[in-house]
Amino acid sequence: MYRIRFHGRGGQGMKTASRILGEAFFLEGFEVQDAQRYGAERRGAPIFAYVRAAKEAIHERGVIARPGLIVVADDTLVAIAAAGVMQGLNEDCVVLIDSAESAAAWAERLNLPGPVIILPAHDTREAGEAAFVGVECAAAAACLAGVISQAYLEEAIRRELAPMGDEVVAQNLGIAADAYAKMEPYAGIVRADGTLSARAYKPPDWVDLPLEGVSLAGPAIYGGVNSELTNTGLWRTMRPVIDLERCNKCSWVCVSSCPDSAIQARADGTPEIDLDHCKGCMLCVAQCPPHAIGAVPETEALAREKAGEPVCAAN
Amino acid sequence: MPDAGASRFRRMRDLPSSHMLGAGTAMCAGCGGLAALTEAYDVLGENTVFVNAAGCMSLMSVYPFTPFRGSWLYTAMASAPAGAQGVRDALDVLRARGRITVQEDLQVVVLTGDGAAGGMGLSATSGAIDRGLDFIYFCYDNEGYGNTGQQTSALTPHAAATATDAGNSGFPGWKKDLFALWAANKPAYAATIIGGEPLDLVRKIEKARSFSGPRMILALSPCPTGWGYDPKLSIEIAHLAVKTGIWPLKEYIDGRVSHTRMPHPRLPVEEYLKPQGRFAHLFEPRRNEAALREIQAGVDAYWAPWEAQREA
Repeated sequence: MYRIRFHGRGGQGMKTASRILGEAFFLEGFEVQDAQRYGAERRGAPIFAYVRAAKEAIHERGVIARPGLIVVADDTLVAIAAAGVMQGLNEDCVVLIDSAESAAAWAERLNLPGPVIILPAHDTREAGEAAFVGVECAAAAACLAGVISQAYLEEAIRRELAPMGDEVVAQNLGIAADAYAKMEPYAGIVRADGTLSARAYKPPDWVDLPLEGVSLAGPAIYGGVNSELTNTGLWRTMRPVIDLERCNKCSWVCVSSCPDSAIQARADGTPEIDLDHCKGCMLCVAQCPPHAIGAVPETEALAREKAGEPVCAAN
Repeated sequence: MPDAGASRFRRMRDLPSSHMLGAGTAMCAGCGGLAALTEAYDVLGENTVFVNAAGCMSLMSVYPFTPFRGSWLYTAMASAPAGAQGVRDALDVLRARGRITVQEDLQVVVLTGDGAAGGMGLSATSGAIDRGLDFIYFCYDNEGYGNTGQQTSALTPHAAATATDAGNSGFPGWKKDLFALWAANKPAYAATIIGGEPLDLVRKIEKARSFSGPRMILALSPCPTGWGYDPKLSIEIAHLAVKTGIWPLKEYIDGRVSHTRMPHPRLPVEEYLKPQGRFAHLFEPRRNEAALREIQAGVDAYWAPWEAQREA
């Protein structure tokens, strides 16, 4: 059985990618499950989708715990434990990652036992083409699986994207053909594992149940404003950075501009951004009258922080 | 703007320097509905109980987390005003029995999206108005069923493309006038607001709080996800909605409707339509002059009597 997990951010098309791949497997005569896993998350939040395909009936249910292929559409997710990108990784699992960095760098950094492949479109993709990362992932995964012909991949894309119009379909077909062709050297690298059996499951001798405070664990919520325990800062791909030398301290503008209560003013009027909760909408950047708030890619900001350098926006 | 004389918000710098609504909610980045609620909550305060009709804001309070300082009760889409009646009645009983003081009493606020407000929730709303229920009806209007992928709602505007009106012409109908429905039935107070105009907004919430009886707040809520634009444009689009006259900022008190902002001169509606993906088909591959004229004519017709009154 092929078990493939797609990781991305809400809005990147992982749901569509899983549907295209599932449809293509189906056209090849496989039994298929494709499912998207999301809850309260919105655009920018870590999400995942998964596909199971087998020649026999599929009795497995739920999230894929032992994937044969993990597709990562956004490499910033790898560092986020809550995204669970590396969950269930074993030595046979292939990791396909959309990244500007090399496969060797990822293999070393994450101590990956299995093969790592970089989604080749990354370097050549134009700014406006980020919307196609989903179809690239689906096409690359189809080729890596080695049992999906390009014709059926294209038919799947046509079927899944038909409501978006001929022009969008044509664009996606072109991009898919390119991604499929570039993956040819690795065609068939993904292994189809046998079925997992519950009989092989060894129950633990002891299960620790976490004991949580009543503000979290009670049947009714008694702790007000505890939403702040949720780290929506993980959604952010761009970070707003205030240049205090330019700041006019007209903090009522930026405080009001933030829909997420993530900016507050100190007594002297200096605004502060709460990076644990800022979702990166960039409204404060757009609204700041003296243009004192700049936008820095989150990956760059994190790298600078790690190196002990100040994070500031290029103006 | 609403009369500033009695308001504690005389100018922009009187706006709060931090918000009472907690961070960490699951609303989309750049959500115009959350912006309006966040600004309103600073004035409503913690002695507020929200009765939430199913919609995007179902995700405000996802167990075990809440951004509110007070209570929140969840109802089905159609029944939030009925839920509000129950909560109000319970509070009245507690008051009558001396179990809570006047200071401990709560303001009952229905939180609803436009899908529920303009469609299946109308019956319960109508009943609440009939019974003179003492509550605030707060509708975040993102002009579609946003939580499920922006299907057409009764408050979707003419020509907007939605998940259910995806063709080349968008939604063929016209936006239901929820404000007029309320105003026609003599509520204690009704007002339209938008998050991008925070001073106008907080003054209206302040005013709504000062009345008792059925009160309605209708917030146009620019929606990056459903309307198809970059989240950083939410406030700019709110400003354009007001400046083009698409979204009149107004209030109803004592049988009279008055505008708190008269855009003058009004910008052409296409300035508002152009940045939004849901109206892209009006401009590409070629301009749909007939539809643009039709939308402009609708806005002109709305303002004609008010502008004539001002000229006189």
